[in-house]
Amino acid sequence: MRALSVVKALLATLFVCLAAIALADVAVPQLTGRVVDQTGTLSSSDIAGLSQKLKDLETRKGSQVAVLIVPTTQPETIEQFSIRVAEAWKIGRKKVDDGALLVVAKNDRKLRIEVGYGLEGSLTDVTARRIIDEVITPKFRSGDFAGGIDAGVDRIIGVINGEALPVPQPQASHGVDLDIDSISSFAPVAFFGAIFLGGVLRTLFGRLLGSLATGGAIGILTWVLVGSISLALLSSVAGLVIAFIAGGLSSTMPSSGGRRGGWSSGSSSGGWSSGSSSDSGSFSGGGGSFGGGGASGSW
Amino acid sequence: MRRLLTVLAALMTLSLTNCGYNAIQTNDEQVKAAWSEVVNQYQRRADLVPNLVNSVKGFAQQEKDVLLGVTNARAKVGSVQATPDVVNDPAALQKFQAAQSELTGALSRLLVVTENYPQLKSDALFRDLMSQLEGTENRITVARNRYIKSVQEYNVGIRTFPNNLTAMAFGYKEKANFTVENEREISVAPKVDFNVPAPAPSK
Repeated sequence: MRALSVVKALLATLFVCLAAIALADVAVPQLTGRVVDQTGTLSSSDIAGLSQKLKDLETRKGSQVAVLIVPTTQPETIEQFSIRVAEAWKIGRKKVDDGALLVVAKNDRKLRIEVGYGLEGSLTDVTARRIIDEVITPKFRSGDFAGGIDAGVDRIIGVINGEALPVPQPQASHGVDLDIDSISSFAPVAFFGAIFLGGVLRTLFGRLLGSLATGGAIGILTWVLVGSISLALLSSVAGLVIAFIAGGLSSTMPSSGGRRGGWSSGSSSGGWSSGSSSDSGSFSGGGGSFGGGGASGSW
Repeated sequence: MRRLLTVLAALMTLSLTNCGYNAIQTNDEQVKAAWSEVVNQYQRRADLVPNLVNSVKGFAQQEKDVLLGVTNARAKVGSVQATPDVVNDPAALQKFQAAQSELTGALSRLLVVTENYPQLKSDALFRDLMSQLEGTENRITVARNRYIKSVQEYNVGIRTFPNNLTAMAFGYKEKANFTVENEREISVAPKVDFNVPAPAPSK
């Protein structure tokens, strides 16, 4: 009997949780390509054509534009949903912020052009609104979704073409780019680590060998913590030099030979920069940021 | 002796990084940046208001009260200081928010009134101003949300152990954040509205 009531309670809890799931916000879709269609509205040839256009734009101007079609954004407004998508996808180049996103919520009959900071000057709210009202929604009203999106994307590309943007850099393929954040968070730890470790190793191996060992150790540590070979080499050389110089300073003084409590350098390992895969088929955002610029409309 | 000092300095550095001194600095800067973005977007809205008022005036001169309300609210916004120090002073932030909310309310009243003027609504200039206003309101919402998040991060950062000790030692206090309740009550339109174009996405 008791077991039955427990089961009931569990079922009730489950039901409440499921209800909560039903009310939760729509999850941000995976960025699988330049065109993400969760409704099956576009044919594969439509998607291929659009993707090619947008890919050409990126190679020519460096600007990234993506299209997303979802059934609904409920319970959020399309504005809330699309800024979340934009923040997650990060399309557009980092620091240039030249990304734009066309979001269509098919069942809500709402759409939005979300504009990155860098394009707000040319793809203004007014321009975005006109593209929606004059180009896209008339076609949507007659049920021509592919045509509307295609025409809208053409207009967006046309506007971006007129914008003076930094010339796109050909993808550098050597090594991992140095992550400034991880360097700055790791540098002080490495510096004092080098001095400290250098002191220990010099007493064991003598000045030159000790310094070399220190450099090696620091390098390996950096490699493990930050995960970047080039940075590891850099810091190992620095470690060597620091340990050597510190050795020169301390060798002029009587060594105190004090006891050392073992302390662990709980360094915050800086952000792991995962090397971007140079897979030409995949598409990933370049780190552009958005601030809610753009326009919405409905049909 | 020197070695001892070196070790001490190393320990200091390590303990500061571990006790969140750097994290507090980072979060502090983020709050400041988020705040200036908020002010920036509110300023953008304030700059739009005179054009909007003029454009409505051309079609709806008899709506003097509403237009005057908007103009006054806009003037009040201009008189409230929005320096970076506001984030450390809840009273000043409250004042800033009250002035901005009043302008939000005045603008929504204006939009309700414009519903009665079909000619105005089809005017190209007015439509452009409206899309600019909508875009600006959305940017304000985004900027405010980011500010709220960054302040939360900062406040949690200085209240959790061991960062709270560092914060106490260096005198970092909690920062003021936006509240939503009074925003709602101020921006209620004066009459029953069945079909108002929302100037901003509702919270």
